[in-house]
Amino acid sequence: MSNPRWQTPAALRRIARRNAAERRFRLLGLGAIALSLGFLALLLVIMAKNGLSGLNWSFLSGSDSTDPHMAGVWGAAKGSLLTMLVTIAIAFPMGVLAALYLEEFAPRTRWIEWVEVSINNLAAVPSIIFGLLGLAVFINTAGLPRSSPLVGGLTLALMTMPVIVISGRNAIKAVPPSIRDAALAVGASKVQTVFHHVLPLALPGILTGTIIGMARALGETAPLLMIGMRAFVATPPGGLTDPSSVLPMQIFLWSDQIDTAFVENTSAAIIVLLMFLMAMNGLAIYLRNKFEVRW
Amino acid sequence: MTDIKLQARNVDVYYGQKKAIDNVSIDIDNGLVTAFIGPSGCGKSTFLRSLNRMNDTIADARVTGEILLDGEDIYAASMDPVALRARVGMVFQKPNPFPKSIYENIAYGPRIHGLAQGKADMDVIVEKSLTQAGLWNEVKDRLNDPGTALSGGQQQRLCIARAVAVSPEVILMDEPCSALDPIATARIEELIDDLRQTYAIVIVTHSMQQAARVSQRTAFFHLGVMVEYGETSEIFTNPREARTKDYITGRYG
Amino acid sequence: MILSAVLLAVLALGLAGWTFARNKARLLYAGRGSMHSMPVYHGWHFALWIVLPGLLAWGVWSVAMPTLVNGSILADPAAAALPADDMQRAAILSEARAIAADPSVFAFDPLSARLADPIRVAEGKWGTIGALLVLICALAGGAHAWTRVRAGFPARTRVERVVMAVLLVVSLMAILTTVGIIGSLVFEAGLFFKDVSPLAFLTGTHWSPANAHGGDISANFGAVPLFWGTIYIGAIIAMFVAIPLGLMSAIYLTQYATRRVRGWFKPLLEILAGVPTVVYGYFAALTVAPKVRDFAAWIGMNNPSTESALAAGLVMGVMIIPFVSSMADDSLAAVPRSMSDGSLALGATRSETIKKVLLPAALPGIVAGVMLAISRAIGETMIVVMAAGASANLSANPFASMTTVTYQIVQMLTGDQEFNNPKTLSAFALGLVLFVVTLILNIIALRVVKRFREAYE
Ligand SMILES: Nc1ncnc2c1ncn2[C@@H]1O[C@H](COP(=O)(O)OP(=O)(O)O)[C@@H](O)[C@H]1O
Ligand SMILES: [Mg+2]
Repeated sequence: MSNPRWQTPAALRRIARRNAAERRFRLLGLGAIALSLGFLALLLVIMAKNGLSGLNWSFLSGSDSTDPHMAGVWGAAKGSLLTMLVTIAIAFPMGVLAALYLEEFAPRTRWIEWVEVSINNLAAVPSIIFGLLGLAVFINTAGLPRSSPLVGGLTLALMTMPVIVISGRNAIKAVPPSIRDAALAVGASKVQTVFHHVLPLALPGILTGTIIGMARALGETAPLLMIGMRAFVATPPGGLTDPSSVLPMQIFLWSDQIDTAFVENTSAAIIVLLMFLMAMNGLAIYLRNKFEVRW
Repeated sequence: MTDIKLQARNVDVYYGQKKAIDNVSIDIDNGLVTAFIGPSGCGKSTFLRSLNRMNDTIADARVTGEILLDGEDIYAASMDPVALRARVGMVFQKPNPFPKSIYENIAYGPRIHGLAQGKADMDVIVEKSLTQAGLWNEVKDRLNDPGTALSGGQQQRLCIARAVAVSPEVILMDEPCSALDPIATARIEELIDDLRQTYAIVIVTHSMQQAARVSQRTAFFHLGVMVEYGETSEIFTNPREARTKDYITGRYG
Repeated sequence: MILSAVLLAVLALGLAGWTFARNKARLLYAGRGSMHSMPVYHGWHFALWIVLPGLLAWGVWSVAMPTLVNGSILADPAAAALPADDMQRAAILSEARAIAADPSVFAFDPLSARLADPIRVAEGKWGTIGALLVLICALAGGAHAWTRVRAGFPARTRVERVVMAVLLVVSLMAILTTVGIIGSLVFEAGLFFKDVSPLAFLTGTHWSPANAHGGDISANFGAVPLFWGTIYIGAIIAMFVAIPLGLMSAIYLTQYATRRVRGWFKPLLEILAGVPTVVYGYFAALTVAPKVRDFAAWIGMNNPSTESALAAGLVMGVMIIPFVSSMADDSLAAVPRSMSDGSLALGATRSETIKKVLLPAALPGIVAGVMLAISRAIGETMIVVMAAGASANLSANPFASMTTVTYQIVQMLTGDQEFNNPKTLSAFALGLVLFVVTLILNIIALRVVKRFREAYE
């Protein structure tokens, strides 16, 4: 004895139409995800198809060469390694200390507000702008050697530091105040409390953020293009001031080659780079899951 | 003059593994206000939400048993939840007007259900609904103001008008006055009494005074079980169950 | 050489001092509460008094020494033969310096070989003086601090004061970076605007720096085609891809997907943001661009170019999807559940609720997300460098090759760089424009997001 108002043919048709629209909409959502992920899959498959055959020991241990069959990726990888060393050596301690200061000690002054605004905006400044900064300051003003891991690392450190500060602050914020109160209550000074209790507890979170920031730096090309890190390095760089290239730059340089044999090299180098990034992100996820504490 | 509008038979509601409602059976009559009372967390909202299948929107909620609307199983495959919710409207604890104009808040329901033929028709529905909710005189000159600009009590009456606008048969109200001041509460209570003529009304309240004032039937819930159900006057003056008595005399809750 | 050695010596002294002072402080310890600070802080206090003065002296000397050495060399009779021209002079001196450091280096200029010896002597002399100075400073600092290793001395407070100073200085780095960016962009762009009128730069429609010779070069630096290309690729084509896909993905993940599905798909989508842009660029150039060109030929365009705004924009859009979807995700999640409950309880379907209630309510957050995405897209470099092309076209044809601000920055700064050349300097002017625009987009977006959050709290 159901309500006749909802049983008229027109009402039934209308409901059927609305339900169909509902299904279409839902399908559209699923389609959007499928399309996005399909694109990712296509990209990976094409790189794998073109590059896997080129992944052998001589490729992994060699350096750049004009002959595609001789060219290898180790020279650029070593450049990346040296660059990342400089980056992490500067960005990590500075980022962590700045995060500690802003979260735990900073008085609420105009200055500190400016620092916060700066950090939030720096995190969104296009990377190529950091390249211009590195070019103007490190090379033209300070006279550091062009194309070197030193300048590359410094430039990327400036870019990465805000990321570390922001994630570091979130990790520090997540440490409950009760821990601080407990330490202060047994007579620890504020500095002792922060360095003995808060920092160790926040460290996994800070590390996760740092790794993610470093992964981003490892994949960067544009700022390094500005400081001339596109050297042709037939031998791996020996030190921080030698001209060198980095993995993404090697990909860029090879992608420009006319010789189609370089397609295999480029794709293989992309696979190597993606492997590194996956390993780093995997480590970050592992750290997050392993040390994530629910307070 | 009573006829049964809603019938629940052995209803259980689960959230995942947790049973929130245990074997509740109840008849809800037309033309009456039925109140659900009980200590908080006893499952009043949960049971109320199973009456218009709002529990469907909670991922791990599951309802078993039978709920019949005019003898028709609302959980049957042939029952469309969309049509069901138009027939069994709901008003929530916190007034939740849409971030749209007053007019659009009311027009929303009729529009999606295709209940109005043209603008003039819609104007009639809006005016009628707002009048029924006792809000027309207060807002007729500012129908284009945002609904969120009204006072709390007005917002709640707007939500009632919004529910009324799709001409439901039952209106479910989940603690509709708990976010309001006493004066706004009194207005809503008057309104509920008026609406009873047209709709079957189920109201959840944590205030026994309110239940006593507005309802003709009262069901007392405790720990997911419906302990007692009967005439409101009976429940409050002469409860059969000890637990009901303890609750209404303020032993716990 | 000797300077690096003395640096190590200072650090070693600091370490030794740390141990000594701590041990001495330990001897002072006479039981519960007898001292102000724990011995280890006396160690730190003492070590800091050795290392900081030493480092300071070292820093000053490192800056001053090249001047002093230069002075000594120019006083040498051999230097009289140096050419007057600054550039040649510097070249010979740097060669001489290289020979002084490593005698096996080949000398192109005989003069530099003769200058090598005086350089060695001068460096040795000034280096030794500097090293002694550094050591004296370190020891003097140490001597001062040694007298402070007393039971009542507040070593911890003093050390903590240094820690605070270090923290403050490090925090100011962020401001310094910002100032550095603005300073270097404004300075170099200022040099550029000496030669090219800002008005012509911002409103001119002809971009051909290669032809900029002679008198009035302003006409060759009209950047409008670059701005247009940037907007067309980054803010139009890319958004045509990213907004629908990102938004619909976010809607599906927040409104339809079960927790499990969401747990899988959300991180997978985020991978798209983690793929390096050079990889996208290569993919755009290798796979997408040829397809786009074939398609253009198929619909009857004659002679379509391999590089096209469409190829670059499409791929950029894919890269941006996760930015849009995660911002939309946050905004949709911020709309209170009571809002959708209200709509569903009226008998609206999910999709009606989403379209008519949730999206309008979440709109400010979504718009802010799109603004951030646009700021990201217009600053993106590698994809356009590899797929968009170099020709400054003021065209609405998506199959045309088009250039962007970032592309031209790269173009102007690769190859020969002469820092007095407007062509090179124009990169900084373009960088300044890019910086200002992204900054404005970010500031507005962050404001909107903040206000939106507050509205629902
Ligand atoms: N979405 C949910 N998921 C899981 N458990 C819930 C959910 N909503 C309510 N509950 C649980 O079900 C029980 C009944 O809740 P509710 O119906 O809201 O009680 P009342 O409205 O009487 O205060 C409570 O124990 C509550 O914790
Ligand atoms: Mg409740």
